[in-house]
Amino acid sequence: MKYDKFFELAKAAGIEEAELYVGESYSLQFSLFHSEVDNYSSNKSMTILARGLVNGKFGTANCDSWSSQRAQYLVNEIVANANVIENEDPAFIFEGSKKYKKVNTFNKELGNISVEEKMKKLFDLENLIKKGDPRITEVAAVGYEEEASSSTIMNSKGLKLTQKSNYFVYYAEAVAKENDQTKSGFDLYLGNNFAEFKPEELAKEAVRKTVSQLGGEACESATYKAVLAPSVVKDFLNFYIGNADAEEVQKRSSLFIGKLGQKIASKKITIEDKPLQRNVFARWFDDEGVATYNKPIIKNGVLQTYLYNLTTAAKEGVETTGNASRGGSKMGISPFFVALKPGKKSQEELFQDIQDGVYITSVTGLHAGLNPQSGNFSLQSSGFLVKNGKIDRPLDVITVSGNLVEIFKDVQEVGNDVKVFPSAVACSSLQIKKIVVSGK
Amino acid sequence: MVSKKLAIEVLNEALATGADYAEIFYEDSHGYSLSIENGKVETSTSQVANGVGLRLLKDNQCVYGYTNDLSKKGLVSLAQSLRSSFKGERKITVEKLDMIRAKNRNPVVNSYDNVSREEKIALVREGISAIEELKDPRIVRYIGSFVNSHRFVAIFNSKGKWFKRDSEFGRLAYVTVVANQNGFETGFEGPGCQQDISYFRTVKKPREVALKAAKTALLMLDAKECPSGKMPVVIGNGWGGVLFHESCGHPLEASAVSRGLSCFSGKEGDMIASPIVSAVDDSTIPNAWGSIDIDDEGNLGEKRLLIKNGKLVNFMIDDFNGRRMNREGNGSCRRQNYKYCPTSRMSNTYICNGKNTPEEIIAATKLGLYAVGFNGGSVDPTTGEFNFGCSEAYIIRDGKIAEPVKGATLIGHGNEILKKIDMVGNDLALAEGMCGAASGSIRTCVGQPTLRVSEITVGGRGGELK
Repeated sequence: MKYDKFFELAKAAGIEEAELYVGESYSLQFSLFHSEVDNYSSNKSMTILARGLVNGKFGTANCDSWSSQRAQYLVNEIVANANVIENEDPAFIFEGSKKYKKVNTFNKELGNISVEEKMKKLFDLENLIKKGDPRITEVAAVGYEEEASSSTIMNSKGLKLTQKSNYFVYYAEAVAKENDQTKSGFDLYLGNNFAEFKPEELAKEAVRKTVSQLGGEACESATYKAVLAPSVVKDFLNFYIGNADAEEVQKRSSLFIGKLGQKIASKKITIEDKPLQRNVFARWFDDEGVATYNKPIIKNGVLQTYLYNLTTAAKEGVETTGNASRGGSKMGISPFFVALKPGKKSQEELFQDIQDGVYITSVTGLHAGLNPQSGNFSLQSSGFLVKNGKIDRPLDVITVSGNLVEIFKDVQEVGNDVKVFPSAVACSSLQIKKIVVSGK
Repeated sequence: MVSKKLAIEVLNEALATGADYAEIFYEDSHGYSLSIENGKVETSTSQVANGVGLRLLKDNQCVYGYTNDLSKKGLVSLAQSLRSSFKGERKITVEKLDMIRAKNRNPVVNSYDNVSREEKIALVREGISAIEELKDPRIVRYIGSFVNSHRFVAIFNSKGKWFKRDSEFGRLAYVTVVANQNGFETGFEGPGCQQDISYFRTVKKPREVALKAAKTALLMLDAKECPSGKMPVVIGNGWGGVLFHESCGHPLEASAVSRGLSCFSGKEGDMIASPIVSAVDDSTIPNAWGSIDIDDEGNLGEKRLLIKNGKLVNFMIDDFNGRRMNREGNGSCRRQNYKYCPTSRMSNTYICNGKNTPEEIIAATKLGLYAVGFNGGSVDPTTGEFNFGCSEAYIIRDGKIAEPVKGATLIGHGNEILKKIDMVGNDLALAEGMCGAASGSIRTCVGQPTLRVSEITVGGRGGELK
């Protein structure tokens, strides 16, 4: 076997247990500008992450191609790196779960569809956007991206698991001008069933998102009742659920410390991690090789569990939740598919509920304007003023500020307008009691 | 390494169907990173990357691909697969490759490769000890890290040129998490350089860097929430340059300008800023974090004056995007690594010194915000709408720095904000960061002297400024 050499060398070097994670991917990308293919790229690439235990400590080393020379490099570096580790947390190479519930969502068909066919839908998309509205002055970008990847974990305890996945994305960015104002809008479609993608729908949505922002001005700075669009809820959810990371809890830097079994959010809030959901994000084993399963993290506002990998679970004497997720140098923790349970009301009904307030459709600059430790945020955003239960006019150059934990406590209704996002989140609109808007 | 002979062969394979430019980007890099968390070494990781990126251009079309298979067969097959995008006759044949020599302004005297893990750990630990010596119970978590990378790049192109670049970088960073009944705050400091480890012994010393991260977090812990609304804002030197980087730097990159997609497209020669504002992108500053001697298209590093006394005079241009502008590249073509197709990017970008002292600027401000620490930001180059978040800020009252405030975000339109700069200081400083865009994450410096914006929208949770 191609990788046997690594395990032989590891054993000879005194590495007690060793593991390789091999990721292989094929990607295809192209984009159009002014009806011409301006960028085209097709690649195969490989990621190899190796780790091993020496005196019970993990050493790690990574590379991007394979040869016996590389195997020797990885072994040497693992030993040298393990020798300087001082952290005394329990460290494991996993022998395997008793049972795996395999979910295969890899769609072979995607690879059989010709590039011409994929490109045709992109030309259609660009044309549809151009013709979508007279105020559209430019199609800044339309593009297609496809990736097929396989991930294999193999270790010296005899575990060998492989899962495959694939997806494609069509994206579009349009520019609209009216008077002196320029606005851009972006939308995308993600899936792995090519027949399901309809350029008409994406074009319509990209155009709507762009032109609807025209004619806006800031509103008065004040506290407003608000409806948050799914695209905003998605951004908040990613950071909010990060607090369920057991390592952050153990290291006392989570907002969920000591909250297990307690009510931390509105009773309308139920958030699940669903790695076995049949979609492009499905994962039936985590990055340590542990079988994954679907579970509620917050149920009717009550925190049900933290998310664990083997090390953090062992420290608390509990079972791992199968949420190990590897960064470059460290086995971290991550949910695989975050799903907010939808409510019954449509977005229009949520506007009716608040009568007067704001409808926030985007927040930007989260890496700078949201403090994941305190949960406080102040973010550039855009949206609409809501008057008498209906959308009144767009808002330009505003910020919204608040606190993540408070937002989820302040939820009065969850909408039924579920959207799935590439960041592996499914959620719908939220109606909240208050948000601070800074405008005029 | 790819030999010159093989490079010529691969370039000619790539050019067979009518491409008017072909370029091989060979990379062999390795790096090391370590982290110390709450006093103990937690991670120690090595990595290597070795691959080739091949780019073909024909008029305004670009085709890119990469591979880890560096054999003749692997490279030729990549060239054949990419050239199939074009259906034409050969226009160019490469006969020979001449070497371009660039001045090495960023020499690393003692390679990080020869510095032991133990020495790097000891360096980080100096700062860790400084935090521990504070014995402050509010500090709940502290992480120190060190990263170094050594990158060898060789580029061969169909203009018959080839060149190499050998560069090394080091970055030291500390994160402190503090907590009390008011909640959590974090502090971050992360200086980096394109020179050897002595930089961290003489210029940015671990103890000072670590203490700054800890003290900022502690100060912000008890700070009041920042007020919101429109107000005058004095922006501190160094990191304050994020304002210019986001609001103006990105929209001045040819990738946006050449397609008419920038808020500054077609504005060359126009007054886009207040007459007291001049700005520069300079990739020639010796040993600076964002400097490059020669860019990915073989154009030499330059000091580019972008704005002269308020007038827009130049852009960051790469050869490919320059085609749409009828302009040559000016040394701005960069990429993260062989997996990214290169494009126009910033290097060390800053607003030039003005006449006032920072003290005069504060003293001239009756009521406003003084923002000195920043988390970064983002911009939409088309609309010019930008935002950036403050990690350290104070209220200015009657010309004096008063109470600290947290959670401030500044937003606006780049083309408007530059015109509202009404005072520029004389204390220019640069600060190191990572900038993410189409061609990946690259090292850039932001910079400026202390300056004042007469009015900017501030987002915060503290109500009206009184």
